Amino acid sequence: MSDSTHRIITLARHEYRSAVRSRILIVLLGILVTVTAVSVYIASVDYASKLADYQAYVNAATTSGLDRIAPSPLAALSLLRGAMEYIEIIGAVIAIALGYLTVSRERTNRTLPLIRSRPVTSGELATGSLLGALGVIATLVAVTAVVGIVCVGTIGHDWINATQALKLFLGYLAAIVYMGAFYCLGAIATAKSRVAANGLMIALGIWLIVVLVLPQIGDTMDADNQIPGGLFKALGLGHDGEAQILTHFTTYERIRTWTEEASLAKHFERFSFAMTDVKERYRPFNLPWLLGQTRNDIGWLIAYSAALYAGLRRTFRNQPTIPQGGTQ
Amino acid sequence: MIATIASHQVLSLRRQRVFLALLATLLTMTALAGVLGWSSHQTIVRVYDEAVKLLASTGKPAPPNPFLLKPTLSLLSNMVVYIPLIGALLALILGHLSIVDDETNGTGRLVFSRQITRTSYVLGKIASAAAVLAVVLAASLLVSVASLLVVNHTIAVGDFGRLGLFYALSWLYLMVFALIGMVTVLMTRRRSIALLSAMGAWLVITFVLPQFTSGLRPTQSLNPITDPASTSQTFFKVTSKLRPYSVVEQYKQASGQILQTATAESVGQTIQRILPIAGLVLVLALVTVRLVQRHDFSRSANSE
Amino acid sequence: MNSPVIELRGLSHRYDTDPVLRDIHLTIEAGEIFGFLGHNGAGKTTAINILTTLIEPTSGTAKVCGYDVVTERRDVTRCIGYLPAEVRMYGHMTAAENLEFFAKLSGVTDPRKAVAETLDYLECAELANKRVGSFSTGMRQRIGIAQAIVHRPKVLFLDEPTSGLDPLGVRQLRDTILRLNGDLGMTVFMNTHLLSEVSKVCTTIGVLNHGELIYKDSIEETTRRFPDEASLEDIYVRMETAS
Repeated sequence: MSDSTHRIITLARHEYRSAVRSRILIVLLGILVTVTAVSVYIASVDYASKLADYQAYVNAATTSGLDRIAPSPLAALSLLRGAMEYIEIIGAVIAIALGYLTVSRERTNRTLPLIRSRPVTSGELATGSLLGALGVIATLVAVTAVVGIVCVGTIGHDWINATQALKLFLGYLAAIVYMGAFYCLGAIATAKSRVAANGLMIALGIWLIVVLVLPQIGDTMDADNQIPGGLFKALGLGHDGEAQILTHFTTYERIRTWTEEASLAKHFERFSFAMTDVKERYRPFNLPWLLGQTRNDIGWLIAYSAALYAGLRRTFRNQPTIPQGGTQ
Repeated sequence: MIATIASHQVLSLRRQRVFLALLATLLTMTALAGVLGWSSHQTIVRVYDEAVKLLASTGKPAPPNPFLLKPTLSLLSNMVVYIPLIGALLALILGHLSIVDDETNGTGRLVFSRQITRTSYVLGKIASAAAVLAVVLAASLLVSVASLLVVNHTIAVGDFGRLGLFYALSWLYLMVFALIGMVTVLMTRRRSIALLSAMGAWLVITFVLPQFTSGLRPTQSLNPITDPASTSQTFFKVTSKLRPYSVVEQYKQASGQILQTATAESVGQTIQRILPIAGLVLVLALVTVRLVQRHDFSRSANSE
Repeated sequence: MNSPVIELRGLSHRYDTDPVLRDIHLTIEAGEIFGFLGHNGAGKTTAINILTTLIEPTSGTAKVCGYDVVTERRDVTRCIGYLPAEVRMYGHMTAAENLEFFAKLSGVTDPRKAVAETLDYLECAELANKRVGSFSTGMRQRIGIAQAIVHRPKVLFLDEPTSGLDPLGVRQLRDTILRLNGDLGMTVFMNTHLLSEVSKVCTTIGVLNHGELIYKDSIEETTRRFPDEASLEDIYVRMETAS
């Protein structure tokens, strides 16, 4: 193992250990795990009753000698929709808090000069910190995943199979990448601010726009959402009529798409929903097809994360070790 | 003394450009709600025109214009989402900044070495936050009225009154978060912990409580009004009792009533929705007063 | 004659437009204990920040152990130890955990052993498993020195090491510096205000005034050169007023 790798591992371990000792982070993690458990519990109870209804239908159909039994409309993984939405919203805040704590910890403890007076490059510092944070995020995601799977199995009475497990793994992998991007955002904003708390506020402002406002604008602009119950339904138009009318709205739809594309959260949401069978139109298809359909979202997710990681390296390189205009 | 503290705090917020940032964000958000409302209006009109042509080509009669189904003030329905999301976060920061400087700069020590009671101090701080929120919301009201005039060319007196009531309710709702911002500073010793705790409280109120009491998924909380999900489960039989205390739901429902964008209910029911919000403001104000009275201002908090 | 471990050639630095260091030429040889004197704002900490590679000089060159602090930063950091003016470290971690972390970053092969040996050497092994957040200033300073020497550097930079210490703490620090120099052969570069300590510890002194090095010589030569002055403090005051 090279010296550089050794130092990166040391920094990553340090980051992990410091993060898990932060009380506020533990509280935020506790909130995330609790709400995930509740959301999956609620969905699972509902699912169990629907599953029982379907089983009753299958039994009745079999007894009456029907040879064509309708396939189950239920998808066990879709019970994790709430869990994914919580990662999208609260998970991103936790990741920003992690990034903020990485920078503010060194400032508060005045340890950055101690680290930088050793043979550590800014790139190693950025990579080590990010890897440590990803370790924390992966632990958190794994806990919510286990809670989710156990709830679906025990309450929803539907244990997931190997294919579903693979899809879920990819969904949670995307969650780790997504949260990693927000970690970089939190660390960059904090490192660039003279007062760390201001950096946190800036990062949360960006979070608000990316995670809540942009997707909300996209949803609001959806032509069908203009009237409660659906505009096209109110006009007595079916799916074909809707498609025909929307051909006159290409520019409008393009603006709406751009608004949504600008949001990292929307890309994570689309991909994770495809992996957890949330959208019914995705359910009949296999994994390679789903990956092909969501390649745009995968690309954006990777591009955003890579850009933010590059930004983190750059910020750490330019970050003054000694506060500017400091003691002489 | 209260007035001195309040005016000094307002001046401090102006110098830190917080006041300007608050005003700019809230006005941008109001203008955005107006633009989205206008866009919605245009979309409905264009879709209707296209639908009439399409239906006529197939020999079907034209349906009634769905735009007539939309209440006038629904133009601003996005404000009902933006206030609990953006407005509440801004209010948290406002409350946080109101107290944090005296903690981190050590100026609290200097203030209390003068002849000022702690109650006067905290009331001055609360009054300054209330005044700043009132001013920025009044500016937002003006932008809302302008948006309505641009799209509808007129505004009825009744609608203006409803808009005024909506903004009064929004002020009350935002006071909850300004006070949470203050309480978290007083309860912690590090600035970052105070901010993150306040943020945690906001997440719980905005996303977690609605899930517990009404089964609303987090993204459903981004919609102006959402009816509770299937609440027949035993879980909800217990938790739905807490729904009156889920202030974000009560705020949205009461706003829907005031702006006439929700299914109508009696005035009494709407008042019942507002009471828990007012109660929470009162409780938080009392907690803030109590915390300031017991707070040790002789130790500077960590500014990080 | 010993080889120079620290060499400054025409070193200057400015913060925005304010010059902090002006054209400093200085050589410190291996085994010296160098006391850097100067009033507040004279530029002492800036000099240490440059020599420890934390900031880059505006002009001129500086070499530590033969390596340039700008172009051979990595090599410089391998041979130095640094104790900043106000040492804090990770308050939520124990002293041993803090030291192990810094030892690993310095590439120490057996960090745990190095930490134990360092704490033993500094006679503070009892602090190993206590959280640094609960330490007094004196205890923090000892752990600070431990982190600076845990990887056995050739040169030790100490920035105002006596600030905030009580008389006993100052004496302990003085003994530690002498032992590090005597036992481990470390060259010490120390910024300080306490002239009484300088006369007891340092072999050479330098005086910085408004960013300019106005004096540099051995303690013996200094006292010989100013026979009329009763103490180093008097000599220092005379130099400052003369410049």
